[in-house]
Amino acid sequence: MSDEHHHSHFRTYVTIFLVLCVFTALSWIADLMHMANHNLLTVIVLAIASAKALCVMAVFMHLQFERAWKYLLLAPTLILASAIPFALAPDVGLHYYTVDVPQLHEYQRLNAARVEHSPNSPQGDVDPAHHGNAPEPH
Amino acid sequence: MTHAPAAPALRMGIPIPTAKLGMWLFLGTEIMFFTAFIGTYIVMRIGSPGWPSDVHITHINITLGGINTFVLIFSSFMVVVAHDAILQKKPATARVAMIVTLLCGVLFLGIKSIEYTGKFQHDILPGHIPESDMQAMNKLVRDLQYRVDGDLGLMFPDVEKREDQLSELDTKIADLSAKSPDSAELKEATALKKFYGAFANLRDHVRAEVSLSVPLAEMDKLRAEPDVTKIPRIRLGSFPEHHGGADEHAAAPDPHTVTGYFQHMQHDPELGPFVSGYEVTRIRPILYGNLFASNYFLMTGFHAIHVIVGLILFGLALKTPLAIGNAVFVENIGLYWHFVDLVWIFLFPLIYIV
Repeated sequence: MSDEHHHSHFRTYVTIFLVLCVFTALSWIADLMHMANHNLLTVIVLAIASAKALCVMAVFMHLQFERAWKYLLLAPTLILASAIPFALAPDVGLHYYTVDVPQLHEYQRLNAARVEHSPNSPQGDVDPAHHGNAPEPH
Repeated sequence: MTHAPAAPALRMGIPIPTAKLGMWLFLGTEIMFFTAFIGTYIVMRIGSPGWPSDVHITHINITLGGINTFVLIFSSFMVVVAHDAILQKKPATARVAMIVTLLCGVLFLGIKSIEYTGKFQHDILPGHIPESDMQAMNKLVRDLQYRVDGDLGLMFPDVEKREDQLSELDTKIADLSAKSPDSAELKEATALKKFYGAFANLRDHVRAEVSLSVPLAEMDKLRAEPDVTKIPRIRLGSFPEHHGGADEHAAAPDPHTVTGYFQHMQHDPELGPFVSGYEVTRIRPILYGNLFASNYFLMTGFHAIHVIVGLILFGLALKTPLAIGNAVFVENIGLYWHFVDLVWIFLFPLIYIV
């Protein structure tokens, strides 16, 4: 920190702030579009979030002005941080065995009931989580 | 070190202030801390088909979440503006920017508390959420039992056992109807008696898993029924549709289902007061609702704690003159605050949109 004239980054900061606002609005719009493909929505909003995170880290957190120590410091933490998700993924996320939990039976029951109930529904795979209870036979 | 008057001393290591290095190391631990939560949430979600995503079920408010995202981004912007102003030797501007940041943090927490209140009102809490129809019926029985016990305890505070309280209640009703048949006390006692009867009826049907269309007196006969498939099974029934639903003005709920039975209790002039404030949607089954609630409160709760700590740090910074000598401190709490913002940038799409 020298006391000499620091030239102001104010304009850069304003630009980044506006970019962040636009990104936030974009993810909002993506959600309001009610896309049929939910995975696409997931990819879009997470990509937007990553872009926002990069903007904040590079400019607001001054990482673009910092020297190579940032890699030395951040790389190990990122590797260690991914340990728990990676350790859980095969068991909890991907299930290398046949899953047998009450929630899954309930899910299958509700799905079956729903498909039976509305044979000409627009989507084949209706998410029963949107209703939470079995349809009433009329 | 910011007071260093002349040429900087020869130093080894990373060419940044020690305080800033300390902050970055701390943020390294924070990255690991939050990645563990967010990462496990993603993994659990991928591995749980039927995860609750309907905002009308989970009572997630996308608008409030979106506003909060904007509030945090704006506050992050204000922090860098404050830091920039300090370096430009404009402490007054820096002070205004810091105060705006502080207010943004308070606004964020205010909006967050509105959300949390909704969660408590609808009982979207870890361990409170039924995940199947049977669990939902048992939850209603348990919650009603709690109310029955409370009301009986209020009327007979000196009697311990429920059987004794009930026989006391019978005696009380017999006494009062002989002495003062028009008294409010008698009305209260008979209403409680009726409430207990309605509760016991529901409880016994749920325990036996027999439909409410079978009168309690005939349930014993069913035990002799050789073909169990002929016994009418108890059903949970439907829930009132959320606003805008097509069936909002549908026919009255079926009193032979559990939700219909309870709604009839609510509309009964005598029983209504006993079940006031209890929305029938509190027993709506949500698949993986408990896991969802645990994850939601863990992530947003720890994030909110970080916001509170940030507010304290901003309060400390505002007590300084915000001169050039405070630049490193403001930069450091700025780094912390941007990290809090970063976490929210990921939590918003992951919790509110996906």
